[in-house]
Amino acid sequence: MVNWLSLAVPFAYLGVLIGSLATFSSLYRKRKAQKAYSLEPWFPAHLQRDIYFSLLHIDPPATSSKEKKAPAVPESVLKAALLRRAEEDIKRVLALRSQKQALGVLLQRGSVGDDLWQRFQRAEKEMEDEVRDVVSEANAYVPGWGQTIFQSANEMMNNTLYRERIAEQQAKLDEERQWWEKRRASIKEGFMKELDAEDSTSTAPPQKTEAPADTTPTTTSSSTPAIKTPESSGAPSSVTGSDDDAVLVEADEQPGSPASPSKKKKKGKK
Amino acid sequence: MADSIDIYNQYPLVLDPTSKAINLSSQTTTPASASTVTTELTELNALHRGLISLDPPNIPPPPLPINPKRSAQITKLRDSANTAYRKNNHAEAVRLYTYAIEMGIARPGWEPMSLAREELAGLFANRAQAYMAQQAWPEGLVDAKCSVESKPVGNVKAWWRAGKCLAEMGRWDEAQVAIDKGLEFEPRNGEGAKELLSLMEEVKEGMKRANSSA
Repeated sequence: MVNWLSLAVPFAYLGVLIGSLATFSSLYRKRKAQKAYSLEPWFPAHLQRDIYFSLLHIDPPATSSKEKKAPAVPESVLKAALLRRAEEDIKRVLALRSQKQALGVLLQRGSVGDDLWQRFQRAEKEMEDEVRDVVSEANAYVPGWGQTIFQSANEMMNNTLYRERIAEQQAKLDEERQWWEKRRASIKEGFMKELDAEDSTSTAPPQKTEAPADTTPTTTSSSTPAIKTPESSGAPSSVTGSDDDAVLVEADEQPGSPASPSKKKKKGKK
Repeated sequence: MADSIDIYNQYPLVLDPTSKAINLSSQTTTPASASTVTTELTELNALHRGLISLDPPNIPPPPLPINPKRSAQITKLRDSANTAYRKNNHAEAVRLYTYAIEMGIARPGWEPMSLAREELAGLFANRAQAYMAQQAWPEGLVDAKCSVESKPVGNVKAWWRAGKCLAEMGRWDEAQVAIDKGLEFEPRNGEGAKELLSLMEEVKEGMKRANSSA
């Protein structure tokens, strides 16, 4: 009994010591891990990568009798997903590369904290692994694809960017058209007034009836009824329609030449 | 940290067995917002269709050499459009150029961008010309801008057309800017620069006139 009691003291001592050490160490580690984890990742979630892995993990259809022959997702889909993934990787690698220098300078000057640098380095390492992973996956599908997959992905990225820019330019077309329609209407209004002022002879009455119908189209919506001779091109027909009215006015002096409206309009505008 | 490469977000994807298209299964919530995933999946499916049409092993070939088939088709379309334009059939020319442009834009993404740019620069410039022949200045302007966007250097015609369209619409300041930019890319003593300079004179005159009348 006495023995047990005297033994309990060192055991208790050891227990308390080890227990406290263990608690401390686990707490410390947890906190450290949390700190590292709480550093925001440099990039948002890699959607393409997620999709690729999700596709890999789709369960094969349950009813398939021949198990080997029915993979859940055809290989071509996986290849496409891998390509998309490589494209996003290239974007990220390029972003990292362009940011590295600026960040280094800022860090030297002390303008940014150490956290940011750590996050950056973590992202860099992750991207390295990611690229290696994509290359090995590509080689697994077709031997040798790993060498060209990033070339292809790079071109795809550039092409997408370029096409976006072109689409942006083309999207301005409607705006330009409307602007020009309005502007042309106002020009024509001025032109009509000049004409009215010039000759108030017998041609004046028909012009006057024409003029109010035309001057209203300054608002684009009401310009559509002005289409009298729609030309072959679809959308700008309202423009050409109102234009032909200007020709009509002139055509009073020179009848029989409605076939060359373009020349006359040019004259009229200048 | 070391196994972060193996961590990913699982998306509930389903495969349409007939069309092989990948879709987001509808009943579950997703980590990211569904719309971004859906757009990504649309792109993926489009790319997949492009890959399927390739020869086995169904991977995009390296950027070089180029498959000449599409280039030949586009060239053919452009030639017929050019003939239509020369016959003063401008509307037809615009239509054909539009086809050619669509075909050029639909070029698969893994083909070199420089090629697509070169081709589209010419097509847009020509369509701008065809539009201008029909006095459709805004359309011509947009196409000329697209053309210089595709290929700013050695594309004096497109710069000139952009300037001309702007001048025709009475936007003198913008015309001046466009011509100035074009002159930046053009050797000063070349033929193209001369034309740009003469257009510049025109623009300046127009500007003066506009100022005096205003």
